[in-house]
Amino acid sequence: MKTRAEGPVPWKSSSGKGNEPALQGIWSGTISFSLVAIPVQLAKAVEPGRVSFRMLHSKDYSPLARRMFCPEEETTVPPDEIIRGYEIGPDKYIVITDEELESVSPERSRTIEIVEFIDMKEVDPVYYDHPYYLVPSKGGEKAYQLLVEVMRRTDKAGLAKFVMGEREYLVAVKSTEGVLALITLHYIAEILPYEGISPKDRKIDAEEKNRIKKSIKNMMADFSPEKYADGRRKKIMDLLKKKAKEKAPVEAPQVEEEEGEGPADLVAALKASMRKVKKR
Amino acid sequence: MSMAGGAIWKGNIFFGDTNLPVKLHTAIREERIQFHLLHRRDHVKLRQQMICTFDKKPVPVEAQVKGFEVEEGKYIIIDPEELEQAAPESSRMIEVHEFVTTGQIDPVFLDRVYYLEPDFHVKGYNALVGVLKEMEIEGICTWTMRKRSYLGALQASGTILRLNTLRYADEVISAKSLELRNIPLSEKELNIGSDLINQLTGPFQPQKFENEHEKKLRHLIDRKARGEKIAVLVPRRLKPTASDKLLQALEASLKHVA
Repeated sequence: MKTRAEGPVPWKSSSGKGNEPALQGIWSGTISFSLVAIPVQLAKAVEPGRVSFRMLHSKDYSPLARRMFCPEEETTVPPDEIIRGYEIGPDKYIVITDEELESVSPERSRTIEIVEFIDMKEVDPVYYDHPYYLVPSKGGEKAYQLLVEVMRRTDKAGLAKFVMGEREYLVAVKSTEGVLALITLHYIAEILPYEGISPKDRKIDAEEKNRIKKSIKNMMADFSPEKYADGRRKKIMDLLKKKAKEKAPVEAPQVEEEEGEGPADLVAALKASMRKVKKR
Repeated sequence: MSMAGGAIWKGNIFFGDTNLPVKLHTAIREERIQFHLLHRRDHVKLRQQMICTFDKKPVPVEAQVKGFEVEEGKYIIIDPEELEQAAPESSRMIEVHEFVTTGQIDPVFLDRVYYLEPDFHVKGYNALVGVLKEMEIEGICTWTMRKRSYLGALQASGTILRLNTLRYADEVISAKSLELRNIPLSEKELNIGSDLINQLTGPFQPQKFENEHEKKLRHLIDRKARGEKIAVLVPRRLKPTASDKLLQALEASLKHVA
């Protein structure tokens, strides 16, 4: 599952504690529909549910931090010294700056423009990629709430495209429990056809169907996800509790200057550097 | 167009007296431009490295241990063998626990879709597709794959069955936790807003949307490879609609689309 779960969402990290970006500030810009523009920020809607461990140095149990490292100079590289390169040959790169990247689709880099509204029921779940929330920035609260409320009343969702980092996302924006949820969608070209695996014989046997219906009849329920917990996570938590009772925890030496968590991954590093560039 | 990839896992759908052998296939393939991170000065390709926060030096894998922080700076060390023991027992069973009406699961729970190919028992497979479609339901199931426990929804789509993995309840951040303020809106604003949305509503046509950006990005790389100078364009930033101008903007919008 790793390939996709961690691939398409550049700011989503999975490297454990402290490496997640802050709730807000993944992206900020404007969401618009027709002549209404609302300043918003993107926020996480899901948190990977693994028990979060911290990597430590076996020597003295100092916490480790993930950093970008230059193998040539054997030093860690701060975000403002990191650039993005496209490989055209062994060790040959075309350098693309953040400004150039934003120039590719400047109209979509800071604006989520809803081009049309749809009925979410028409969207096959196979299109869903990753969910987020949008929260209003200062001054946008009223227009934000209007969009939340009218999408709830009409039971419609907005469709838009916007660009973040290297990617352009097709997204659905819907109203959920008083907030705007943004769900990135797959492009149709990314969805594989299933013809090759579908059975050639498509006859549906009535008797077989009735037999199945009979067993389903007593199995109807309302979806309640709380009922299902991750078995592995529970086992790990039990193990940790047991270990905590048996043995005192180890202690890391004090670090004078709190360095803070480093960028979680390549793209998080770039995001950090992009933010820096923007501030200048 | 490429076909669904090879089978990645085999299991049995199980409920009541139904036991259907199936093979899982991925349903999504994403191909996109890959960038590397380089050192600005000399364009050396960077790599990620774990650095000790105390002596600031890189730490090799052999000297890394996993700790669970019980309080600040205090850890319980856990070794890989112990973690291995916590892995769920391997099983081939996709156990359906209950069925829910289609559309009841909030999209925030939906994760990844797998196509299911029948392994032998086609009669039962086709019948289950028929039942799920007819009753407009999906099955909530759990299974263990590659040492991980999964929660999923068994769905019918077209002529096939699919498994849509679901996020666990405690992985979803509740909308309420955002604690947004409630701002009063006038009925007039809400009515015009609703009219506007209805005017702008159309059918969902995914084929209309292409990743144009990817093509433009490739073009940019080609131009840079040829040594062309790239004009930097400033991203458009829209002026936010002020609260006291909202009604006016909505009225103008409605006129605009009419």
